[in-house]
Formats: sequence, structure tokens, C-alpha cells
Amino acid sequence: MTKEEIQSLYKDKILPENKAPYHFEKVDADHSVKAYNPMCGDKYELYFENDDQLLDQVHFHGIGCAISKASTSILVRRIEGMTEEEAEEYCKKFLEAINSSDPDSLSDEDLKILVELKNFEGRVDCIKLSWEALYDFLKNKTS
Amino acid sequence: MRNNAIVLFVVSSVSYPKYRFKLNSYSTQFPVFEEYPELAYLDNAATTQRPKAVIDAINKFYISENANIHRGIYDLSNQATTKYEAARQAVADFIGASSASNIGFTKGTTESVNVVAQSFLSKRLNQGDNIVVSILEHHANFIPWQMLAKEKGAELRVIPIDEHGDLNMPAYKELVDQNTKMVAVNHISNTLGTINDIAEIIAVAHTKDAPVMIDAAQSVSMYPLDAQYLKYDFLAFSGHKMYGPFGIGVLYVADQHLSEIGPYNYGGGMIKEVTIEETTFVKFPKNLEAGTSNVAGVIGLHAAVEYINQLDRAQIQSELSELSQYTEELLQSIPGVKVVRLPKHHSGIFSIEVEDIHPHDVASFLNKDGIAVRAGMHCTQPLLTDIGVPATVRISLAHYNDKSQIDRLKASLIELIDFWS
Repeated sequence: MTKEEIQSLYKDKILPENKAPYHFEKVDADHSVKAYNPMCGDKYELYFENDDQLLDQVHFHGIGCAISKASTSILVRRIEGMTEEEAEEYCKKFLEAINSSDPDSLSDEDLKILVELKNFEGRVDCIKLSWEALYDFLKNKTS
Repeated sequence: MRNNAIVLFVVSSVSYPKYRFKLNSYSTQFPVFEEYPELAYLDNAATTQRPKAVIDAINKFYISENANIHRGIYDLSNQATTKYEAARQAVADFIGASSASNIGFTKGTTESVNVVAQSFLSKRLNQGDNIVVSILEHHANFIPWQMLAKEKGAELRVIPIDEHGDLNMPAYKELVDQNTKMVAVNHISNTLGTINDIAEIIAVAHTKDAPVMIDAAQSVSMYPLDAQYLKYDFLAFSGHKMYGPFGIGVLYVADQHLSEIGPYNYGGGMIKEVTIEETTFVKFPKNLEAGTSNVAGVIGLHAAVEYINQLDRAQIQSELSELSQYTEELLQSIPGVKVVRLPKHHSGIFSIEVEDIHPHDVASFLNKDGIAVRAGMHCTQPLLTDIGVPATVRISLAHYNDKSQIDRLKASLIELIDFWS
């Protein structure tokens, strides 16, 4: 990616999400999931309030780079209102898309941008951090 | 031949912006800068670049000298053995060791520290004893001691830093006592660039008969480390941070401890006699080098030592000191940039924070301007926790850097801060 492409992606998508992240606060919740990258220090906690297996309210809080924060913010916004199974499938599909570099398999424009950002050298872990943590949590819960 | 790092650059299609850039007289000896003249490589604390002399020595070995050492009764093997042992002597001379038998080859600093923890200290550490480390330590010189202390019910004592990032020496003197069985500190902090007064640290420890291990990974390339003068008990460093190859390191063991370093790994090439019932081992350093040695790594390390030996290190230190001062002034002149600590005794390593911008984002944007820095915790989590910073951008200088690169760093940081706001 060129510098201009990166700047444009940051300006249009990453920075707005980073500066006004969705439901960015610590809350008392039924469940919480920690997403931590010990290599860089990015650390988030995702909070869930369930209503009949429905992820009724999702919040998150923590410290990390603009990309990991924006990615987590998008994740939290999208999965709110899903069932746990739906959220697990949603994370799985996104992670598959990013691991195969196939943004076209996703219909959501924001997610496509995240997958494209994979080409931003060395930042794929930032994008995947919270998605992987949530996916592992839900997978272990259902298995 | 391109090394892996260069191949990665090619794969990721990096095109650095075209600056009018004149290589300084040192950088012309480094092929990577001929390949990428626009690259401002400011990540020397992670690994230095390699001069042509080192790359040529490794290539020459594989092209025309390759054979395994010891026990091969033919010319190539004999020659490889001679070169391998000549490298051991060269390393001994480089740090002023009394003999080549004080020098063991390891995979790197991390392994050297682990060897001392497991092969030397483990058998003499008991409940009620203590190990003294500093808060500045890289995990490589922290975790091996922490784990051993836990295993033995010993205490891990940590020397704090002052507000500048220098070690609190009065506190250190209070921490060392008759029960101290090891003092393990770095010479230069890989995160803050603090230069520790190892002569004083060693002298204090020795008044209590405590041995001292010095992690010289960040200092060995340019700072004198004379074993006879400093009298450290153990010294560890890595080839790849002194212009040598990856995967090769050194453990120096002082004369009085040579017989106390037991085997670390078990395998071939380190034994006196093996029976079904038991095995007896040769002494250090051969008992350290189980299995097939990294012969090419040792040859490359020798070339790195020779490269450093022919430099005017006093002159380079003076130039680096000036470049470091220049970097400090420029970083401090940028609104929104904070150098997290500026030790009074400081080398060319800076950890900075940029207001509202995470270190990873900073490093990614600097990369787009051809500036290579490192972002993260730099394997020093206890230190960053202590100073209350989640991560930093680290700038680390070498003699092949120059002021024009620092000017570019400043311009790039200013542009990024402006873009972000």
C-alpha cells in the first residue's frame, strides 16, 4: 500500500472509528473476554450482557493502536444483537477472509476495508486481535 | 546474496521516497544501504546491519571452506576447526579475556544467560538467598532469574531507576547483601538507552562475594568491555547486534568459575566417556557446545570482531554522541513528542511517545517515509509498567546513521501529528 492509500484509509475509516469508538467503556457484564497481544501491549476487554443467549449489549475498553481499536469497535457494533452462534460464525467468516485475503467474500464494506488493511505491513495482528479472542471464547463455550 | 530481511522488503514492494541522500563513509561498507540508499535504519537495538566483510566471510566459508569441525581427519575439516578456534581466540582478545577457554559459543545472549542460571546458579541457590536484577532488564536477563528464584524459594530483588531513567545506585547498594548469589544487569538498556555504571555495580557486588553477570548485547559493538579491568564474572552478547550473523552468541566465564559451569544441553561432542550407566563431560567451553556447532555463525562473528577492531571506536563514539545529542534536541523540539526518559548516562537509544498516536501507528507511518523504527514493549514489560507507559516508539542509532536521517524523522513525525489532528 502506498502512503497515500494508507492516509486515505486512515482518514476515512480508521481515525473516525478510533476517535469515537462504539460503546467504549468499562461495564459490569455477564461475561467478559480479554484480547491481549503481549508482543505490542495492545489490551482490550470485551463485555457482554446476554439475554437468552442473545448478545444484547456489548461494550469494550482498553489500550491499543488505531487499527486494533477501530477493528474492535467495528466488531462490537456488528455483533450486538446476534446470538452467540451467529457471532461465532461471523468472527469465523471474517478471520477466514483475512487469512485468505479474500475481501470479496464479505458483504460489509467496513469489514472489506479491514481485510484490505491486511496489506498494511505488519498490522494483521492488530486487525485480528479482538476477533480471534472472541472467536476462541465462543468456540470453547459451545464445544 | 540477499538476507531474509532484504527479501521481506522486496516482497512487500517497499518504495522509499527519493531523497537526495549521501551515504556516510561507514554506510558504504554495508550492502543493504547500496540496495536501499533511502532507508533510514533506526532500529539498531533490534539488530544491526552487516558489513560486506561479514557477509563475504560467511559466503566464503560455505563456498570454499565448508566442513564440520573436530574429528574430521581431512584438510577441509581441519581448516574449519582451526578457523573456529581462531574465532574463539579473537573474541577472547576482543573483550580482554585471559584465554580462549573463557569463551563459549551460544545461540545468543538469551541462551548465555540461561546457561549461567541453569548450569551455574541453580546448584548453589537456596531458600533465603537472593538474586539482584534491575528494572531496566530485557526479559532475557530477567525471566531466567525470576524462574530460578521461584523454583528455589529465593528472592528476586529489583534495582529501581530514578526519574531520569538512571539506575538508583544507593538503592542497589542496599539490595546486595551476604545472601546475594547473583547480580545480573545490562550494560545499556535496550529501551531507554541508559548506560549503567557496571564497574561500580561489579565492585559493590564483589564486596559481598556476589558474582555478576553483564548483559552486553547493546554495548558490545562500540563500548570497551575489558574483562581484566571490569572483572565481571559472566558476560553475554549476541553476534547480530554487533554487525555479525544471527544465531550466534557468546558467554564469557571468568577463570574462577570455569569448573563450575556444568553442561546445559546434552549431546555429542561434549563428553569424555559414555557408558550405559553414566556419562562424564569435558569442561567449559566444550561442554556448552553439544551437537553440531554453528560454524558459519562463528566465522561470521570473527569477521564482525575484525570489522569492529579496524574501526576507530573512540572517534565513532564521539560522532555517535554528537548524533545522539542532535536526535535528543530534535525530538524535544517537536510539539506532541515526549522522550519517555532521558538518562544522564545515555547512549543512542530513545523511547518516545507521540501524543494521541499509538506507537504502532507511528512506526507504520514512519515506515512509509523509509524510516525503520521499532514499536512495542521491547521485551521490557516490567520497565514499561514501572514507568506507566503501555508501549513506545524506539529509535536506536548506529555509526552508519547521520543527521539527515534524523531530520527526516522529525519531518515525518511532524507530518503525522498534523495528519492525525
